Amino acid sequence: MQIDLAHYHRWEGRLRGPWYSALAVTRATLRQVFRRKVFWILLALGMLNFLLYFALIYAGTQLPGVGDRIMERFDFTVHPDAQRRNGYLRFMEQQGLVVMVMMAFAGSVIIGGDFRQRGVSFYLAHGLSPWHYLWGKWLAVAVLLGSVTVLPALVLFVEYGMFTSDFHYWWENKAVVVSVLGYGLVMAVVLGAVLLALGAWLRKTVPIAITWTSLFLLSAAWSEQLRRTTGDPHWRLLNLWRDIRCVGRAFFGFYARREDVQLAPWAAGALAAVVLICVGYLWAKLVHWRRWE
Amino acid sequence: MCEAPVARLTEVTHRYGSTVALDCISLQLPRGTVGLVGNNGAGKSTLLKILLGMLRPSQGQVEVFGVQLHQAASTLRRRFGYMAEADAVLPLLQGVEYVALSGQLYGMSRRQSFRRAHEVLGYVGLGELRYRPVEQYSRGNLQRLKLAAALVHDPDVLLLDEPTNGLDPPGRDAMLRLLEDLIAQGQKSVVLCTHLLGDVQRLCEHVVILARGRVVYQGPLAPLLQLRTDQYLVRWQGSQEWLHHLRCQGVQITPGANGSQALLGLPSGWSTQRLFQVAQQHGAILHTLRPVEEDLQSVFLRLSEKANSDPKAEA
Repeated sequence: MQIDLAHYHRWEGRLRGPWYSALAVTRATLRQVFRRKVFWILLALGMLNFLLYFALIYAGTQLPGVGDRIMERFDFTVHPDAQRRNGYLRFMEQQGLVVMVMMAFAGSVIIGGDFRQRGVSFYLAHGLSPWHYLWGKWLAVAVLLGSVTVLPALVLFVEYGMFTSDFHYWWENKAVVVSVLGYGLVMAVVLGAVLLALGAWLRKTVPIAITWTSLFLLSAAWSEQLRRTTGDPHWRLLNLWRDIRCVGRAFFGFYARREDVQLAPWAAGALAAVVLICVGYLWAKLVHWRRWE
Repeated sequence: MCEAPVARLTEVTHRYGSTVALDCISLQLPRGTVGLVGNNGAGKSTLLKILLGMLRPSQGQVEVFGVQLHQAASTLRRRFGYMAEADAVLPLLQGVEYVALSGQLYGMSRRQSFRRAHEVLGYVGLGELRYRPVEQYSRGNLQRLKLAAALVHDPDVLLLDEPTNGLDPPGRDAMLRLLEDLIAQGQKSVVLCTHLLGDVQRLCEHVVILARGRVVYQGPLAPLLQLRTDQYLVRWQGSQEWLHHLRCQGVQITPGANGSQALLGLPSGWSTQRLFQVAQQHGAILHTLRPVEEDLQSVFLRLSEKANSDPKAEA
């Protein structure tokens, strides 16, 4: 191929710090994820539930007769006594299933491919520390997760407020925003750390998907079996997904069982331990990579 | 403009567990073009990683542009553009996105990085392929893409790790011409780490030869390639008896293809005049006496061999 010996031009400009560069890691990762059609399909599936809730709110507030029946089952306000019916909480928990499926397929694209095809070396050779790299990758997971949970939930909140007779709804129920953000943050931190660690370890889509699914399904089965055998509710803490829901629900002030009130701090501790183990593993892996690869 | 050397290493040692990768080396990488050569395991990659701040040496001081590396590592690293030997492919990204991402990782803004990516891709000859996914690039184009990614933020120094690795001869020549042009136009310092000594001979003014984690030579390339005064090619007419006498006096003799030619390695203190005397005494007439020209390959092999046989020797 012929070389175009064009003149080389100098560039003068300001270079920003490495934390800013971490955002480039996020953007590049999301670009890689959304270049795969399967993620658009998963995102569309995730949005189906959102459209259902969107329609429910419309019907519940705008259609006389039908609306009352809907609102008997769903509540979109902050009522300490009606949190079991809280529409936002229900939406977040249902979207959690979509997140699980999406993350199972995303692990290899988000981080596994970097280890398989030496993308890690590319990032780390640009003056980024492992922390910057991990922060960028975690942000990508958080954006993916937030786009199917937190963002639609907040859209529903805005929608409900717009259909009510006055605008006080948003102010009076501002705790909903905090609750949704809190639940989303718990999911993003825990699932993000576990997914990144699994992705760095297993690298390929199929092993990641199998291990990811087993991790949540088997831990649920084992913890329930152990709780039944011993009668000790603390065994429930082994169920990672339940721990996430338990802590997430605490943001809404809702506990499904009485024992959950006592278990919530333990669940938070268990999740923190899992996150620490995953981050420690990722750190060791990246430092090892930087030295040897 | 500050004229401090690109890097100065003082008694730097780096260990991987019990393995010593760099053994108390002191060296200076001057501005200009420097070839970094050595066998596998000589410590070249470790040295590059230390300069890039990816590794902290176990002992010793590293100065980059006159500043201690550990004091301003993140700032100094941005003055380097690194082209890795291994292909770090980020699948599904287009060429222009790959180069722009490199710029953003160095700290450029998104808009500037894309503008500059288009510019450097045009410069390295990939202007027409810039929207192609990275995984579809051929070997030669991938090397150019990596060079563009290293150039995007206009660094002062380019660290090139095997830039012509895996290229066919025309591709290699094209890459070397590109680098020559870049050195001339961009006025950049280049550290070229390669096994292909011909590339070093073509591009570099200085050379650092590493063997087993030690520096066996550092300095300008030209004196290294000067004619040797201890090895001569001789052709003669007459008997071979004079060779026997030379051998008895400690001259190393490598006979040539025909019976009237040989390579002579003279012991220290010998002059060419003495050769003529011995030849004359034994009835041989010398009609060719030429000092041996050594290329970088032979110099490298000689120095490496010497370092391997005597680990404490340092040129």
